[in-house]
Order: sequence, then C-alpha cells, then structure tokens
Amino acid sequence: MKLALLLGITLCFLLVACGSKDAANNSQSSTKFTQYYIQGERLYLQHCSNCHQKNGKGLGLVYPPLDSSDYMDQNLPAVICLIKNGSQGEITVNGKIYNQKMPGVPNLTPLEIAEISTYIYNTWSHKAGLIDVKQTEQILVACTKEMKE
Amino acid sequence: MKERIEIIRSKGLLIIIAAIALLSCSQKIEKPLPVFGEREVINGDTLFHTIAPFEFINQDSAIVNNATFKGKIYIADFFFTSCRTICPIMKTQMLRVYDSLKNDPEVLILSHTIDPEYDTVALLKDFAQRLGVSSNKWHFVTGVQDSIYKIAQTSYFATAMEDNSEPDGFIHSGAFLLIDKEQRIRGKYDGTVEAEVNLLIQDVRKLEREYAGKKSAQ
Repeated sequence: MKLALLLGITLCFLLVACGSKDAANNSQSSTKFTQYYIQGERLYLQHCSNCHQKNGKGLGLVYPPLDSSDYMDQNLPAVICLIKNGSQGEITVNGKIYNQKMPGVPNLTPLEIAEISTYIYNTWSHKAGLIDVKQTEQILVACTKEMKE
Repeated sequence: MKERIEIIRSKGLLIIIAAIALLSCSQKIEKPLPVFGEREVINGDTLFHTIAPFEFINQDSAIVNNATFKGKIYIADFFFTSCRTICPIMKTQMLRVYDSLKNDPEVLILSHTIDPEYDTVALLKDFAQRLGVSSNKWHFVTGVQDSIYKIAQTSYFATAMEDNSEPDGFIHSGAFLLIDKEQRIRGKYDGTVEAEVNLLIQDVRKLEREYAGKKSAQ
C-alpha cells in the first residue's frame, strides 16, 4: 500500500518535471532561442558589459545592475528603446536612484537588439523566454515616434 | 645490515632535503621593484625620474598636490566619467584596488579626469559618492586640461589627449601607475586586465615591505 503511494507520488513528480520541460522547450531551448541567446551574449559583451559587467551586477550607484532588476521586469519596451537610443536623467532600479548618462548604440539592427534583449532577459535571475525580432521592431517604431513628438 | 644501510641512506636524503630547504630560505630576499624612467648619476648619486610638481582640485574642492602624497605610496590613472570604452573597466578594477587597501593608511589613489570641461568638481564628487569611496583615500582630480595632459605624458608616461576620431572624443591609456614615497614610478599595469591588477595589488605590498625593511635596517 505504502509502496503504491510512493510510486504514485514519484510518478506525479515525474509528470510535473516533464511538463515544465515542455514549457521550456517553447521558449528557452528551441533552436531559434539558442541562436538569439548566443548572438545576444556576444553583442552584450561587445556593447554592454564594460559598464553593466559580465555578471550583470553593474558598478556601485554609477551603472545599474541587470542581474536582478525590477526596472527590467516592468519596462521591457523602455529597455529595448534605450539600448538603441540611450538614456538620460534619473532612473530608479531596485529602489536606488541612478543618474549616469547611457549612450545608445544607434547602429544596432532590430534583430541585434532582440538578441541582446533575449540574452539579458534569460540570464542571471531572468527567465522571460525569447524576445522576437517582430516584437522588437514594433516597440522600436513606437519609441522612435515618441521621440519625434 | 641491509636495513641499516637503508636507514642511513634515508637519513642522508633527509639532511640533503633540509639543506636545500634552508638554502632556498636564505635566498628569499625579495628583488625590489624596478624604477621607471631615465636616470642621471651626479657626484656618485643616482637621480631617478620623479613626478613633476602639480596642483589639481579634488572632488571636495580641496587642493591636491605633491605634498598630499608626501610619505605615501599612490596609484595614479587617467579617465573621464562619460567614457564608455575602457574607463568603466578601469574603475571596476580600481575599485578592487581600493577595497584591498582602504584600511591601509600608507596608500592613496589619484584619478585624473582628462575631460575637465565636462567633469566638474560637483560631477566628480557625485561619481565618487556613487562608487561609494572615501575622498581622503581616493582623490578624483580636475584642473587645467593642458596641465593634466602634460603631466600624463611627461611624468606618468601615460597617453592622454583629445582625438575626435575616437568614439568618445579622447585617446588615453588604461594604465595604472604605482608611485613610491619618493614619487618615483615603480610599476605600470594595464588597468583593464584583472591579472595585471592582481599583480599591482601584490606589488603595493612588496613596496610596503621594502620600506618596512629600510626602517628596521636603520
């Protein structure tokens, strides 16, 4: 009787574990995701890690952290826009105020920005899944419009 | 009989090992760090290259000059706050140096901005506070641009100049210079390479031991 119960519980665990693996398949282990992620890491090391560090921890109150960031969690469109256009003025991350001008990288393509975003949103504490180029393009069009207004 | 020979042999071996160990200990006198730059011999005395007289203003609006570093070892570098290429890496590394010696009264840090027009005293103060470092340990200085470039080139042998073809408008080296209590350069390290900065941290200790040795010899 006990053995049956144990078996049942084990089976349940197995099912749950497999189920979550299926969900991850859709976002974090597809070929497309892997391509985005690998390119994203390369671009992150080229354009971002000087300030935000390889480990995403930032530097003091000069450069905000990315590894764990409520700002990133709540502002995906703003993050995509500022990778391209930069950011100026105060920004609050995890309750701390940062105020260092960030230069944008205007010559990045929407695909490259989607790759960087996929990398930073799926590394350290983040598990947001793939950030697609189409989604990124739409956001970029919207923020370019905003800037012109 | 055979056993005995073996014991004697092993004893002999032990003595040899002990002798080698002793010898290697007695040879452990540290080689001093080199002195950089040209030297002149006048009346049998060697004159070494030293840092020329300077006067800049730090993040607290206080005057910082050669007297500030009298009797101190210090580490110098050149940067600017809006730089996004090598400076953030240099500052990350210098922060490690700072952490390793923040409780050591013998050592200071001197960071010169090469963009004094943008890096005002207020901005440097904000920058230092945001790094979380103390002003009496780590001086961020500004001054007349030409004086900063000149001291960089001629005293510290570090490159610093405006160059509009560079992404941020300046060309400068990422070097960290180790200066001794006589204001002589005793080491030059790439401030963007972690391994070199580890060596700098070790060399600061080495230099301190050099001074401690001189003191006890007197």
